[in-house]
Amino acid sequence: MTFRQFAFNNVIRNKRLYAAYFLTSLFTVMVFFTFSIFASHPQLTGDNMDSYVSFGMNVAAGIIYVFSFFFVLYSMSSFLQSRKKEFGLLMMQGMSMKQIRSMVFLENMFIGLLATIGGIGLGLVFSKVILLIAENVLIIDNELPFYFPTQPVLLTFGCFMVLFFLISLFVSYVLRSRKLIDLIKGDKKSKGEPKANLFLTILAVLLLGTGYAVALTVDGLKVIAAMVPVILVVVIGTYLLFTQLSVFIIRRLKKNENVFWHKTNMILFSDLSFRMKDNARSFFLVAIISTVAFSAIGSLYGFQSVLTAGIKQTNQTTISYQDYDTGNEEANVAYIDEKLQEANLDMDKEQAMLRYYEVPDESQVLIAKESDYNRIAGLSDNEIIQVEDGAPALLGPEMILLGVDGGNLNAQKADLLEDAVLELEEGAVLEPVQVVSSNVLPATTEYYVVSDHDFESLPSPASEQNYYAWQEKEGKEIPLGIAEDLDNKLSAEGVRIGQYEEYLINKMYGPILFVGLFIGIVFFVSAGSFLYFRLYSDLDEDKKKFQAITKMGLTDKELKKVLNRQTALLFFAPIAVALVHGAVALTALSHMFFYNLVKESAVVLGLFLAIQIVYFFIVRFYYIRQIKQALR
Amino acid sequence: MLKVRQVSKVYEGKVSYRALSDINLTIEDNEFVGIMGPSGSGKTTLLNMIATIDEPTTGEILINGKDPHRLKKEKLAQFRRRELGFVFQDFNLLHTLTVEENMVLPLTLDGKKVSEMKKKAKEIAEKLGITEIMNKRTYEISGGQAQRAAVARAMIHTPKLLLADEPTGNLDSKSSKDVMEMLESINEKEKTTMLLVTHDPQAASYCNRVVFIRDGKFYSEIHRGDNRQAFFQKIIDTLSLMGGDSNDFSSVRV
Repeated sequence: MTFRQFAFNNVIRNKRLYAAYFLTSLFTVMVFFTFSIFASHPQLTGDNMDSYVSFGMNVAAGIIYVFSFFFVLYSMSSFLQSRKKEFGLLMMQGMSMKQIRSMVFLENMFIGLLATIGGIGLGLVFSKVILLIAENVLIIDNELPFYFPTQPVLLTFGCFMVLFFLISLFVSYVLRSRKLIDLIKGDKKSKGEPKANLFLTILAVLLLGTGYAVALTVDGLKVIAAMVPVILVVVIGTYLLFTQLSVFIIRRLKKNENVFWHKTNMILFSDLSFRMKDNARSFFLVAIISTVAFSAIGSLYGFQSVLTAGIKQTNQTTISYQDYDTGNEEANVAYIDEKLQEANLDMDKEQAMLRYYEVPDESQVLIAKESDYNRIAGLSDNEIIQVEDGAPALLGPEMILLGVDGGNLNAQKADLLEDAVLELEEGAVLEPVQVVSSNVLPATTEYYVVSDHDFESLPSPASEQNYYAWQEKEGKEIPLGIAEDLDNKLSAEGVRIGQYEEYLINKMYGPILFVGLFIGIVFFVSAGSFLYFRLYSDLDEDKKKFQAITKMGLTDKELKKVLNRQTALLFFAPIAVALVHGAVALTALSHMFFYNLVKESAVVLGLFLAIQIVYFFIVRFYYIRQIKQALR
Repeated sequence: MLKVRQVSKVYEGKVSYRALSDINLTIEDNEFVGIMGPSGSGKTTLLNMIATIDEPTTGEILINGKDPHRLKKEKLAQFRRRELGFVFQDFNLLHTLTVEENMVLPLTLDGKKVSEMKKKAKEIAEKLGITEIMNKRTYEISGGQAQRAAVARAMIHTPKLLLADEPTGNLDSKSSKDVMEMLESINEKEKTTMLLVTHDPQAASYCNRVVFIRDGKFYSEIHRGDNRQAFFQKIIDTLSLMGGDSNDFSSVRV
């Protein structure tokens, strides 16, 4: 047996031990590979996509690569921890540290090679699925055919061989100069119970408290200013939360004998307190990674919602057309009518006259008459208004009326009305008496609606334009081809189709959302794997412990109860923290946009929680089964 | 107290192996019985079956006239922690708990009151002379102390039957002597029935009666008279009769 054969056999004949590490590496390679297939897909690069999108994808690939590095490194070092005793044994047989290092190096390169090849193979299969999903998520004119990705294969292979080489070197460094006795007794020696520092415990609470308070109170542009300090404070606070506050709480619970000595609590808490030292770091990492994933996906999703909501708001009817004095008015309206007829759409059509007046300090102000306004409003199911003679109404989108700081329309009514007094030429004065938040007419500033009678007696306007609105009656959509045709021909002349604008946004936004989602999910799944490793590194110890306790008499139910709680704590403690962090971050985001993101946040956070719950049940099932097998 | 009737144990596998065949053993209340035999003779198998950790292939085991193996899993676990006490070679104390917490663990699992547990732990610690290590952790105490703590844990719920598997296997001779004297005094004062599996003739000499098994079969049985020293000699003699030198028996094999 040569040395190389020895290292090789070590891996081949001890598959179970290496399986977890191997699978992690495999998974990481697969993720990277699938992503690079996607990023370098011929349909998605070059002319088909903006250059900044493909740049973004390359940056994302880089992030995944860096993350993979740390992830593989972490799993490798936790894997080596569990092999301490084996190394001690080998050293007792006379193996030198140098030889152990080269053995680990060889093993690691061997596993790395297998994982890279396996990951690419699996990725090839998986990528078809990803491409299918992408096809549906993204709005792409052509479909994404499966292709044999030569470039991604080479890229992935190269990148990961370098990665495993670097990690193999790094691992040799991790193993430096350990005393033989420490290695041999590695699994017996108690690491000692972690202690909590009262000052740091209080600091943890303070940091998290102020971080949250600031994040929840600022709005508008202040959110961006507050972002970096808040993130720093919360990250430090989270670290202290897991290393200090949790230890503090567990110790308090342990001191209370009524709790600690109650049934299975003793087994649960004593382990929890001992493992907190190891757990704290993983928990911290998982909480932060998950928060990043939640916030990133939540922001992207929220941002898209904000954009589409804006389009929906400015386009209350299915199609609108405002003549810009092009002289083609009649032809254009006829063309639109004809096209709609062609599509067999049952449309209601209304027309309004919009008058624009020059105002000294502002550009132009829009004035419309009551009956016009109410007809258009009726078309799009908006509330109609009552305007008396000599008592005009002030209207506008809520954002414009109230300014970026938001507020209550009724409370600021008096101020708004006072500011809105409008003096026109020839001594005509409009003094509005009611304020209504409305998006019915196409205006980016506030506008006025006067009674039909008053409208006649207004001075002659700077310009007078006709506004046409069509509303589909049965909620059907305009066929894409027709919408595209209308938009191409007439968008410069004043036609607006909300549905088509939304389509364009989605089309542009889809790839970004997809990349964000992909990275978020990669982060999240890796976070889950961290927890899985944490759990399995304690498996042997748990087996021994439960063997001892079952001999004294521990019912199946009690065993399950302890394991259930142990696993649940491990899986949900960091995720709960991340969920709270994420919720706070998304609330801050919604303050920044002045747009309510509760629904979007709930969807994103709920989805992640659901995934985590499924993950928990799977891992718990296998863990309990493993422990039970050991008890037989 | 304990009746073992015609018990056999066969380990199934590629080559099935008969670990025990037709063992009969009766233990009266308040008896202190030792089981001895060479490595692989089936002593631990027998003890495990009495301890309800393992099941006999044929035959039956009655504890106080009842067969615990007939109980459902749930009830069996409860039976074990209420009626039986265990002492193991490697102590089996949980290193994450203090000595006191280890001692009360069986009561805790049963959901007893804290005050009651405290009282019992204190009583038994005084009896066994381990009061001063109650708040220490298991890696801070010596092997002899750890085994005494384990005995305390086994005795805290005043079991009817105390089972000990090589309790002195990991101890030096002084600690062995301490632990065995302690078990003897518990047997006398608390009237607890005890069953001990051991390789160590010195430890076995504290029993009232020693049963020898070899190759899974009953070999012989000797009773202790008044003199422990003479009994010790008789044990040595039987062991040498049974097969070769008494030194053959390694003391660390389970």
